[in-house]
Order: sequence, then C-alpha cells, then structure tokens
Amino acid sequence: MKTQKFKQPLAWASLIGLLSVTNLTAQDGKLTEDEAFFFEEFDESAGVYDPFESVNRLTFEFNDFVFLNALQPLMDAYTAITPDTVEEGASNFFHNLRYPVRLASNLLQCRFKGAWIETGRFAINSTVGIVGILTPADDYEGFAPIESEDVGQVFGAWGIGEGPYLVLPFLGPSNLRDLAGFFGDRSINPLKEPFSMIDDWKWEWQLATSGTDYIARSPQIIERYNQLRGSSIDPYSSLKNGYTQYRRGAVSE
Amino acid sequence: MKFFSFKAYLVLGLLLVASVSAQEAQKEKLQGMIDATLDVIYSQTYASLSANEKQLKVRQKLESSYDLDVMIRYAIGKNWRRMNEQEQLEVLELVKQLVLKAYVIGLEGKDRPTVTFGELTEIGKARIEIESTMVLDAKTYYILYRLRQMDSGWQIYDIVAENVSMSSNYRGQIDDHFRKGSAADLIARLKDLLAKDQINEDTKI
Repeated sequence: MKTQKFKQPLAWASLIGLLSVTNLTAQDGKLTEDEAFFFEEFDESAGVYDPFESVNRLTFEFNDFVFLNALQPLMDAYTAITPDTVEEGASNFFHNLRYPVRLASNLLQCRFKGAWIETGRFAINSTVGIVGILTPADDYEGFAPIESEDVGQVFGAWGIGEGPYLVLPFLGPSNLRDLAGFFGDRSINPLKEPFSMIDDWKWEWQLATSGTDYIARSPQIIERYNQLRGSSIDPYSSLKNGYTQYRRGAVSE
Repeated sequence: MKFFSFKAYLVLGLLLVASVSAQEAQKEKLQGMIDATLDVIYSQTYASLSANEKQLKVRQKLESSYDLDVMIRYAIGKNWRRMNEQEQLEVLELVKQLVLKAYVIGLEGKDRPTVTFGELTEIGKARIEIESTMVLDAKTYYILYRLRQMDSGWQIYDIVAENVSMSSNYRGQIDDHFRKGSAADLIARLKDLLAKDQINEDTKI
C-alpha cells in the first residue's frame, strides 16, 4: 500500500512531465520553438536552377514590354467588344481542339481514367456542345473537368529532371523539360506542324488560328500577370518560383 | 495500480479528444474569418467604403482571428536577421499591407466567390492543413490553409493556391532580393508598390 501511494504521485508527475516536455525542449536552445519555425527552410522553394538568370531577366523585360504595350491594349479591345459568353465560347473551343494532346499525355502516364474522362468530354462537348463552344459535359456525372495534362508533365512523370529555368520570348516561363514538352505538344496536336492532319494548311491560316487561340487565352493570363506584377517585390523571381511550384505540383499529382 | 492506469488512459484520451476538437474548431474559425472578409468586399453594408477603407476593414477582420505577423515572418525566413529592429517592423507592416491590397483588389469587381471547406489533415507536429475550393468567375481554385499552433494559439502560416505556396513565393523573392539588395532597398520597393492605386499601375519591374 505504501508503494502504491508513492508510485501514484510519481506517475502523475511523469505524465505532467511528458506533456510539458515540448516546452522544455523549446527553451533548451537559444531559439524558442516559434522562432525556430520562422527560420525553417521550405521544400517547395528548394532550388530553382537558374544559370541563365541575366538572359532570362532580359527576356522577361522584353515579354513585359510586349505584354503591356501590345497584348494588353489588344486584350482591352477584345474584352470590351466581345461579350463574356463569346470570350468563354472561344476559350472553350480552342481548349476542346487540344484534346489529342491531353489524351496522349494521359495515356503516356497510364492515367486511363483521365484519358476516358477527356474522351467523354471531347465527345459530348464536340457534339452537344456545338464543336466545343459550350461545355455540357460539366453536367454529366463522371465527366467533370479535370486538370489538363501535357507532354512536359509526361516527361516529369517519367522522372526526367526540369533542367534550367528558362524565359521564352512571347511564351513566358518554362524550363528545359517543358520546352521539350512544348514541341511534344505541337507534334501531337493535329492542327500544328510538323504533323498537321490538314492538307494545304497554309501558314496564314495557321498563324490566324494560333493568334486567335492566344488571344482567347490571354485575358485570364493578362489578369493574373498583372496581379502578380503588382503584388510582387520581384516579379521575375515571383513568376519563376510560382511557375516552378505549379509545375512540380502538376507533375506530382 | 489498475485504477491509476485507467485514470491515466482516461486523461490521455480526453486530451486527445480535446486536441482533435480544438483542431476541428479551427475549420469553423477559418470559415468565419473568410466569410467576414468577403462580406467587407461584397456586402452592401460596406459598399460605400473606398478601396483603402475596405483594406483596413479586411485587416481588422483578419486580425481579430489571426496574427498576420506569423505568415509574414514565415515568408521572410532567415532574411529577418539581415534587418535591424526598425527595418524588421517596417518590412513586416509593408508586406502585410501589400498582401491585403492584392487580396482586396484581386477580388473586387467580380462576383462573390463561393468557398467550400473540405478535409482537415494533421501534417506534422502542431500543424494542420485545411482544404478548400473557391469558385470565382465560374473557375474552381483549390486552396489549402496551413496552420500551426504557436504560443499565441493556432495561426495561419501559409496559403497554397493551385499548388503555389504564398509564403514560399515571397520567401523566394526576398531571398533573391537580399542576394543583391539591402533592407533599405526592400523598404523602398515595397513603398513604391503600395503607392500605386491599382496593383498593375506602371509598376517598374
């Protein structure tokens, strides 16, 4: 009985000790736990390899100039004269045309469910949705929109490294792997050279199609770019970090 | 002895339950805070406020629930030591203003987004992650809120939108800045950004 009385408070003390051990550890070093937390490193920002930073920054400034002095006025005019529904329809139409890229990218990653959903969406949107202008597939169970896949993501899923960070004229942020993926996308896309499925696909028409696609996608890009530009201490660095995190996330998913 | 063991397990069990429900309560608190800030931007009650007044009001709502310094300090990271005490305070305040400005201006002029909260996941010691989706202009964005139990209670330390961590993004920028620039340059840059009426107005890159 004596032993019991002795052990009980000791056990309670141990329990209390166990619960307060965290605080003791925190006070052990020079930093408190909270202070140490503020100084911890990030996984996400770990190493964006940017050996061409000086050239990339110049290209970034060039793109910035083009965006603000050519694309922005064009977008302002486009959004002013085009009703929202038409803008959305144009964006949907060009998105639908890129179905072969998404299908191939899903299959190359053995994402058969993704390939099935993309195929179903393409079939529904191309028919019921009038050549992809509308997206009735959104309302069909099992065919809700999914994240778009591309060849750059395929390379990432295969374990190919990103390579150096690049800023491409007119196209913006990229890296060596995504640049290769960009050419991969083009080779799969039946509307783009070098494997275009359309005979007599004159360069004027190709340019017009690519230009319209670019314009249809631009309002969102411009808006996001402007937000980033205005809320960033260093827009180049912000875009580099944001792009890299986004792509790493897309690959890991 | 058996009786003691039972009591110990009971206490530990109760502590565990209390910890889980405290975490769950964070979801409600976060939801309430998001709703309150969206009310400031979209509700008729605040319609007469100027952009600056709205930013201040949003700040009040945020600060009534969370300590914003935590997120900014986390974004600054080790660069904190490159600044003197006065510079630290100034940078903390200016980055806070910049983030709030971007938040309010980014949402203004659009329809009120629908925010739905999802699962709460424990991601480490005293750290949780709360999933949410935001539907804005017919587009769905996936947003994660990361919280940590600090001495001052549960605090948001990062917001991850579409795989992009806000704290990491600012940390990357500040790291890059300090490779070539000083704290004084950083303060000047932040003041320059805040002086613009719109976030995209003639910002020098």
